[in-house]
Amino acid sequence: MERNRFNKFFDQSDSILTIPYFLWLAFFVLAPLALLAYQSVQGIDGRWTLENIIRYFSSTSYLKMTLQSFVYATMITLITLTLAYPAAYLLTQTQHKELWRMLLILPTWINILLKAYAFIGILSQSGAVNNFLEWLGIGPKQILFTNFSFLLVATYIELPFMILPIMNAIDEIDSSFVQASHDLGANSWETTKEIIFPLSLKGVRTGVQAVFIPSLSLFMLTRLIGGNRVITLGTAIEQHFLVTQNWGMGSTIGLVLVLLMFLVMRLTNKGKGKSKGGF
Amino acid sequence: MQKKITGSKIYLVIVFILLYLPIFYLIYYSFNAGGTMNEFTGFTFEHYQAVLADKRLFQIVVQTLLLALSSSLVATLIGTFGAILIYRVKSQERKNSLLTLNNILLVSPDVIIGSSFLLVFTFAGYQLGFISVLLSHIAFSIPIVVLMVLPSLEELNETMLKAAQDLGANSWQVLGRVILPNISPGILAGFFMAFTYSLDDFAVTFFVTGNGFTTLSVEIYSRARQGISLEINALSSLLFLAALLLVIGYYGISQYNRRMHEGKRLGADL
Amino acid sequence: MGEKIIRFEEVMKEYNGQKVLKNISFTLEKGKFYTLLGPSGCGKSTILNMIAGFTQASSGEITLDGRLVNEIPAHKRKVNTVFQDYALFPHMNVFENVAFGLKMKKTPKAEMKERVLAALDLVRLKDFANRSISEMSGGQKQRVAIARALVNEPEVLLLDEPLSALDLKLRTDMQYELSELQKRLGITFLFVTHDQEEALAMSDEIFVMKEGEIVQKGSPIAIYDEPLNRYVANFIGESNIVEGTMLADYLVRFNGHEFACVDGGIPSNELVDVIIRPEDIEITRSAQGKFTAEVDTQLFRGVHYEIILYDDAGNEWMVHSTKKAKEGTIVGLDFEQESIHIMRKDEEEEAFYKRLDKYTVPRKGE
Repeated sequence: MERNRFNKFFDQSDSILTIPYFLWLAFFVLAPLALLAYQSVQGIDGRWTLENIIRYFSSTSYLKMTLQSFVYATMITLITLTLAYPAAYLLTQTQHKELWRMLLILPTWINILLKAYAFIGILSQSGAVNNFLEWLGIGPKQILFTNFSFLLVATYIELPFMILPIMNAIDEIDSSFVQASHDLGANSWETTKEIIFPLSLKGVRTGVQAVFIPSLSLFMLTRLIGGNRVITLGTAIEQHFLVTQNWGMGSTIGLVLVLLMFLVMRLTNKGKGKSKGGF
Repeated sequence: MQKKITGSKIYLVIVFILLYLPIFYLIYYSFNAGGTMNEFTGFTFEHYQAVLADKRLFQIVVQTLLLALSSSLVATLIGTFGAILIYRVKSQERKNSLLTLNNILLVSPDVIIGSSFLLVFTFAGYQLGFISVLLSHIAFSIPIVVLMVLPSLEELNETMLKAAQDLGANSWQVLGRVILPNISPGILAGFFMAFTYSLDDFAVTFFVTGNGFTTLSVEIYSRARQGISLEINALSSLLFLAALLLVIGYYGISQYNRRMHEGKRLGADL
Repeated sequence: MGEKIIRFEEVMKEYNGQKVLKNISFTLEKGKFYTLLGPSGCGKSTILNMIAGFTQASSGEITLDGRLVNEIPAHKRKVNTVFQDYALFPHMNVFENVAFGLKMKKTPKAEMKERVLAALDLVRLKDFANRSISEMSGGQKQRVAIARALVNEPEVLLLDEPLSALDLKLRTDMQYELSELQKRLGITFLFVTHDQEEALAMSDEIFVMKEGEIVQKGSPIAIYDEPLNRYVANFIGESNIVEGTMLADYLVRFNGHEFACVDGGIPSNELVDVIIRPEDIEITRSAQGKFTAEVDTQLFRGVHYEIILYDDAGNEWMVHSTKKAKEGTIVGLDFEQESIHIMRKDEEEEAFYKRLDKYTVPRKGE
């Protein structure tokens, strides 16, 4: 039965057009992951070895770095979520929703590096923020190249990616649910708490995925804004691949990142409808 | 509409001011004669003149656009047929596993994509350069095209496809005359997303580009690491303007479509 | 008799410059089953939304139980709605859906459980309390929606085309159930539909609507037997409508013949619409009928044959008969004088009923 259907599919002569897609799956989805795993068990001299993995798990500095990266990603996610949810909710209540949505998307079209670059100016020793602090009489402070500046800029960059999916999820809630809730005696706050919030969780999950995973790997922000004080998994991978050329260790850390990614997907997809495919 | 508490309005305004503050900060200082982003000493267009006179920068902009255009076109082509493939798979289990594979690159951090693609090219013995960057951009754009096209396929009326077959269309004709025209909005959206993904990318390109080829993101990164150059400010103003025009155009079209739509629906039960 | 529960006074609703309701006035009494009947876009759902509190009237007064409701928010009205698409909360199971209204009123746990189960029992779904909404069939969802509304003991239950998503068999079953439920609970039902059969089967009173106005109010029998005009006649059941001339009281001319009828109070020589229901016409031999017509086509409808005929003047006649006719033959059409209903072209409802009271001779069966 199953076989028949599959054969029937390939009987359609236009299925030849899907060959590039299969090639893509093989060479750019499966092969990279396989090579990452393969590379992590290769020594510098090209022998099979578990050296990298053992070193990673026995070194406190690697483990500390991983933990730090995880903690920062969690903080970025929580801060953006806290800021984003009310904003997303309020945006769905506005009259020119589409215009606001566009205004939200617009900053994401500005290259992330340009935005990071802007913050170099704003946060620098004699930049706008420090001028303001001086005016207040607090005096200039070192802001750029601190953990705080990294958190701030990362939050700024990720914020639209948290607002958009939540806004879409709230927007998708059938207005008859809200009407029904009012009809059954719930006031606006109760409706938000009992109906809108639970039904928008799908968007929150998407937002958390869209923010948490990239936050683990923001490497150019740690370089440009964090002044290498914060080392994320992404920074470490870039360091090993492009600077020290230790691909084996880089791949090992990459695998850790992939595992964390799968873990996050697992956790955030819990309770999601069974019918939805993929992640 | 309901009257809203002013507090919530203020909140929204603050969020949007913060979102745009860095961008306007850049634009403001792009007119600064002083050469820094700290003190506005006088108005000048010299940075814009410098950008326009910078042949290397111009070449990089053209390269970046060409890369985005060609990679998104190819990705749209491959992704659309990928979506049709997934759509045609009837077993829910098989569909889900295909979708999972499809989405891996979409959720992977770009550092992972960059480093693992670097491994692929190295193992294949491939010279890094324009082609490796192009292939990478095509590769990371395909899944988003699939995800944009799939919903419009799912919305297709299956009876319509049967009707086309019933009327004597072979599978190529069904594809070309019925399926593709009906999913064109999804394809267009997919192309658009692929295009912005490519323009936006920094990390993957950074990993797989050799010495010969560079994109705007990589160029900005190397310049920004050297410190502040108001030429970058001028460039970002120009890019912002371009994005703004695109958004306005897009908004105009969507508003127009909506009005047409609403016009048709007027007189429906209220 | 009955206590008045809802009153609309000159209610008007404008929407984007379009008048969707034009000066609607009516009263609903406690414990009756009312139906708003009309095609989509006639404003019937707007009336429902105003009572529920989802829309505000542009002008006019709405009172619920003697209190002006124009300003009471939706969640404080003693009115509940069964929505067209049910609007069951997908993230709650059957029990939680039904319990929602009570939970909002901070009802004690034990009482809540008792009342929810009682409501589910009422719609015969007691064993389904822990099912998730996605596991329920269309008809079951419908019943959950009814239970969810009824558990709050509303004074008025609003039903917005609740049966339209169900298949024919289920729809007929639900008509019986709803009708019985309403009688048992004794609360007011306001039912919105575009399906005349539903309206005729369940209602105590039907409001026929057209383009933001109530055209005719009356019991199902009154509206079926004495439609105010062509629109109502066409909307309620199949009918033959031809143009005629009123010659005098109780005498009308159509189709080249004069007929005795039971209507009066219409100026002589006025052009009128004459209606005869298909089931009131009998096919006879050509010499015995009131006039003759040629059988064109016939369809077997199960209970009866639906026969289409054309008379000499070219008018089309539809006849419902249990006897078969032969296509192409000339037959006679016969009917009682009580079967002829006369409708003036532009008569208002009030004048129409007044005239009926004054002139109608008592008919058989009344």
